[in-house]
Amino acid sequence: MAARLRAPGWYRGAWTFALGIGFAYGLTILLRSLLGADPVLDGNAVLTVALIAAPLFFLVGFGGFDYWFYWAAGKPTRPEDHSGHGAQSWKDYFRINTDHKVIGIQYTVTSFFFLLVGGMLAMLIRAELAAPGSQFVDADTYNGLFSVHASILIFLFIIPVFAGLANFVLPLMIGAPDMAFPRLNALSYWLLPIAGLMMIASFFAPGGSFSSGWTAYAPLSTDLPIGQTFFTVAVQFAGASSVLTALNFLVTIITMRAPGMSFWRMPLLVWANFSTSLLVVIATPFIAASQFFVLLDRSLGFNFFQTGLAAGNNGDVLMYQHVFWFYSHPAVYIMMLPGFGIISEILAVKARKPIFGYRMMAFSLLAIVVLGFTVWAHHMFVSGMQSWIRIPMMITTAIIAVPTGIKVFSWLATLWRGVLHLDTPMLFALGFLTMFTLGGISGVMLAIIPITIHVSDTYFIVAHIHYVLFGGSLFTIFAGVYYWFPKMTGRMYDETLGKLHFWLTFVGFNMTFGPMHIIGLQGMPRRVSDYAEKFAGWNLFISISSFVVGLSTLVFVYNMISSWRGGARAGANPWRALTLEWQVSSPPPVFNFDAVPTVVGGPYEYGIPGAVHGIFKTPAEAKPAGTVATRPTSE
Amino acid sequence: MLVLGVIASAVGIALALTINWFPTQASTQAADIDHLFNVLLVVSIPVFVGVEVVVLFCVWKFRMRPGEELKDGVPIHGNTRVEVVWTAVPAMLLVGLCTYAYVVLHRIEKPLPNSMVVNVTGEQFAWTFEYPAQGAGGKAVTSDVLYLPKDRPVQFRVRSADVIHDFWVPDFRMKIDAVPGLTTKYRVTPTRLGRYAVVCAELCGLGHAAMRQNAYVVTPVAFKTWMAKQAGAAGPAPAGGGAKTPAGGDLAARGRQVFTQSASPTCGACHTLADAGTTATTGPNLGQVLKGKNAAFIRQSILQPNAQIAKGYGPNIMPPNFGSTLSKQDIDALVAYLEKVAAK
Amino acid sequence: MEAGSIAASHATATDGHDDHAHGPPAAHRSSRVDPQTLGMLLFIVSEIMIFGAFFTAYFFIRVVANDPWPAHGTELPVAVAGVNTAILLSSSLTMHWALTSVKNDNRFGLRAGMLTTFLLGATFLFVQINEYVHIGFAPHDSAQGSVFYGLTGLHGAHVFIGLTLLAMVTVRAFRGHFTAAEHRGVEVPGIYWHFVDVMWIIVYSSVYIL
Ligand code: HEA
Ligand code: HEA
Ligand code: HEC
Ligand code: CUA
Ligand SMILES: [Cu+2]
Repeated sequence: MAARLRAPGWYRGAWTFALGIGFAYGLTILLRSLLGADPVLDGNAVLTVALIAAPLFFLVGFGGFDYWFYWAAGKPTRPEDHSGHGAQSWKDYFRINTDHKVIGIQYTVTSFFFLLVGGMLAMLIRAELAAPGSQFVDADTYNGLFSVHASILIFLFIIPVFAGLANFVLPLMIGAPDMAFPRLNALSYWLLPIAGLMMIASFFAPGGSFSSGWTAYAPLSTDLPIGQTFFTVAVQFAGASSVLTALNFLVTIITMRAPGMSFWRMPLLVWANFSTSLLVVIATPFIAASQFFVLLDRSLGFNFFQTGLAAGNNGDVLMYQHVFWFYSHPAVYIMMLPGFGIISEILAVKARKPIFGYRMMAFSLLAIVVLGFTVWAHHMFVSGMQSWIRIPMMITTAIIAVPTGIKVFSWLATLWRGVLHLDTPMLFALGFLTMFTLGGISGVMLAIIPITIHVSDTYFIVAHIHYVLFGGSLFTIFAGVYYWFPKMTGRMYDETLGKLHFWLTFVGFNMTFGPMHIIGLQGMPRRVSDYAEKFAGWNLFISISSFVVGLSTLVFVYNMISSWRGGARAGANPWRALTLEWQVSSPPPVFNFDAVPTVVGGPYEYGIPGAVHGIFKTPAEAKPAGTVATRPTSE
Repeated sequence: MLVLGVIASAVGIALALTINWFPTQASTQAADIDHLFNVLLVVSIPVFVGVEVVVLFCVWKFRMRPGEELKDGVPIHGNTRVEVVWTAVPAMLLVGLCTYAYVVLHRIEKPLPNSMVVNVTGEQFAWTFEYPAQGAGGKAVTSDVLYLPKDRPVQFRVRSADVIHDFWVPDFRMKIDAVPGLTTKYRVTPTRLGRYAVVCAELCGLGHAAMRQNAYVVTPVAFKTWMAKQAGAAGPAPAGGGAKTPAGGDLAARGRQVFTQSASPTCGACHTLADAGTTATTGPNLGQVLKGKNAAFIRQSILQPNAQIAKGYGPNIMPPNFGSTLSKQDIDALVAYLEKVAAK
Repeated sequence: MEAGSIAASHATATDGHDDHAHGPPAAHRSSRVDPQTLGMLLFIVSEIMIFGAFFTAYFFIRVVANDPWPAHGTELPVAVAGVNTAILLSSSLTMHWALTSVKNDNRFGLRAGMLTTFLLGATFLFVQINEYVHIGFAPHDSAQGSVFYGLTGLHGAHVFIGLTLLAMVTVRAFRGHFTAAEHRGVEVPGIYWHFVDVMWIIVYSSVYIL
């Protein structure tokens, strides 16, 4: 036992966690008595410090930092015997593990757990909105419901699940044995569950969960009860996690590509994650800062956003929105670009054709990255900011439709004269194409200021949100999960259940979120638990359809679990794909490759006899084959 | 396929234009914005339908037939000409739309002659409207109902007393945030008589959903008389004998009507009260908490909600301004009514 | 965490453990920059953005709202802070000295350099805290106060992180780690430390001088 308490793991984590809480008490009491604050013991202060300290202490105990402590102290570090690699039993998924494939699965499964939680909250939202007046939650709980719903689905589902899928396939795709910084990778994963549980835990905070939406506008967020602090801190953990992962991806992509894998031979998924990681590294610090401001205002009495002071000393309320959206608009592309990557992979393989205009696909990604930083204020058209800013923002926002359009059209052209295998991943990919286009177009309407002036903060926005995030991101995620399921688990999913899942989702989704455009234009504001009689009909319809979506998700969950446990064995390359991850066994060997492969051609040379992407030879041996498939990607 | 696309788009546009998307057009701005929206529909429906048609066509034409399991598609890597086209065309389309949008924006925000000013103040969770220098002797007139003369341009100057709110009249189409520390502005010209909802569109806390009031567009004449009445009523109304009369039926009945309708936001928007048939849960269920409470307590709870906070509820939720937005008679009626309810 | 990224790579087989015994195949190196340095540079990019956000706050208060700076009735100890700046800058020089020494196997230079760097950094932090105590206004007095404490505090935090890194390096230096051949463990924290210094110059000139 004593040994267990000293060795990294849950036991040591438990007591260091307790230690962290103790530390919180100690620190606050010490400081408050020093500053002569009274009462010396203040619950909120303790809770705030504990929220930050306890998780860190836990990670230390759990073993997140062990290696580095040894390193720092100059002790001989434990010989890395790669016991950390691969997972023998399900238990191995519950400890620090440095294998990118294990981490990838940890990420994916965790974030899908949070999809269920967030979706469950959505079901409660819909149940409350089924009829006007209040059904079974009061206004405060309702505000909590959609705030947590959105925060969890954005910060704990969409963003990390992409990181998870990429974690699994990206190193394989570029022929790397692992990520550049495996231990950092493990750490950034373990920051996630902490953030998620913190958000859920906020429901048990005195005064209820945080209830200022996922945007947490000041000064509302600085006035709300302690539950808000759970959001403020949780976002820091989630943010740190995604910055570290992004950094890891960038370094891996730049420094660990297989010989012959030039940038113009990288699969578009790699390109997509490259662009996304750039966005994350540059933008995420801004939301961190915005929440620092709120935290300082809340707990240390700073005045970034307080306005009741002496003339010339007032804070600036709009500053919060500028800083927040300077992250959160790029964030919407952080939530979409990896999806674009997934779709490119799937369409090429399932249409048995090269991606149309490969280079433009890559360039448009980069274009979106750049433009993405120039449009944040389109979320502030009615915020009362200086009115001249609106015009340039309207134009840049509209222009973003161009690179995105290039992608959509190129995907269509990729379908043209292909041989379409209409199985589940392909269905979701096509579903994405159609639904995202609709969501994007409603986005362009929102860019048109006079329209936004009317529909901002209405259900039209809610509709847009879900067409791009559900019909866009989530569809690509489903597609990707079905597509790589054989690779990740070594088993096949159930095709009929998959198709059922698609059709239920597709129909239910449109019946749920389509009508929201109408009630939005008709004047139903968002974020309300009660609404005017005239919207009753549509809302009931929406609620009922939303349960269909809910049930469809259950079909998916059942399919995944049962297939993972008892599905038919999958071959190494069931889709006859060219990219490297399919050239190794399913699931891949512990160290990915016995010898790093050599890349001799483009990733999507389908339809060209004898074309290969990578081969397991040294560059020297590989040369001749190279001439076969390296064609200019546009003619 | 092109033919198909054109037909489908035509049908789509026809359908979309027949749907009545918007609430009533009650201002010149509304007319402009609705027209702009229709133009957007006409532009974007072909885009959407186009994508759909291509997808469906490919699914129908190029789907894998039995026996083609190992067949591959035609290795087309790209085609510079089409790529240029589908970059340039949307770009031009969008620039065009933006220019048009700019024109419309300019029109709906243009200052107009002989426009009047209304100061709008949002606070958790109620609006107050102030008509500067309209009352007797240039005194400002305040009201909790927005009265506007038809066809007279008006500029709203919006402020906030606490957190961010958003002043929106859907039928006018215009909205702007009420930001603490700023005065934000917009203009409308009401064009249609009637009663419209004033909605708070920015999440501002517990009572956000309840922050609803009324706007009346009336004839200039009616507006004058209303203004005159307000100007007279400005300042404490002569203490009506109402309060002294025992909580008689008529007074209580009036109180009930204030509770459910004339107070703004209405009490029913936040309170459940079986007798008044309201079911909201932002505030306590008055039917229960008021059991055995006396008139004094009730009066205080209405005039200074924060004096005593019902347990389980936060302060600063119930609007503190009923004392000023409700006439003395109304308050008396309310108290009498609630007292009667509490007694039973 | 940076220390982590430095050590956490398969490539650093020299950190007193063997990664490659029965491990994965050595990754192919597709770039001239080594992962550790690149990682640190990217990390610094996001650090710069954090400061960027705080400078946005500064910008909105001082430029957009055009409020007096510093707030009425307060002034900033420009001189003291100036001396402090000098201290921090000199620490950059000693850091550089330590690095060059290790590069040509001068162990004394390495240890002395690291130690002085650490001490200079610590002095800076001490003076900074002392300044807070005597400066005569609090964060909640005015938005300017909040921004001042926000920016300098954020930088202080980074000095602290930097110091922890330096401490690690110093310890290892005295335990005889690092050679002319393998000194990334000194180089990479060094980069971070130089970043902290440069950042201070920006903070100092925009908050105190301008
Ligand atoms: C995955 C996430 C995602 C994505 C990809 C997008 C994409 C876009 N979004 Fe959206 N957006 C959100 C998530 C997303 N958004 C969220 C969550 C909010 C609400 C935040 C909140 O809670 O307040 C929001 C809000 C939001 C607003 C603010 C509304 C308001 O609050 O007042 C605006 C305004 O301009 C906007 C615009 C756009 C535009 C122009 C795009 C463009 O990138 C779309 C481009 C794509 C296409 C246009 C389709 C394909 C293109 C073609 C087929 C070419 C031809 C097309 C034309 C010529 C039109 N979005
Ligand atoms: C990726 C992001 C994402 C996803 C996937 C969803 C999914 C859903 N969302 Fe959400 N939503 C947002 C992001 C997302 N949402 C954001 C950003 C906002 C803005 C919040 C704000 O204003 O701050 C929002 C706001 C929002 C609102 C507006 C609230 C308001 O403004 O008052 C509504 C209302 O209907 C809603 C509904 C739904 C529904 C029905 C689903 C469904 O698709 C969910 C389907 C999934 C499940 C149901 C889970 C699986 C099933 C189970 C766990 C079993 C239980 C099922 C049953 C009991 C049937 N969402
Ligand atoms: C925006 C929401 C809201 C509106 C509108 C509102 N109330 Fe309240 N009311 C509350 C809340 C919340 C409380 C509990 C906190 C408190 O006591 O202030 C409360 C408390 C009360 C109480 C005291 C109950 C107790 O036991 O302390 C009375 C009486 C009351 N309201 C009457 C009214 C009347 C009459 C009106 C209409 C003129 C009204 N309220 C309008 C939210 C509202
Ligand atoms: Cu006021 Cu919402
Ligand atoms: Cu945006």
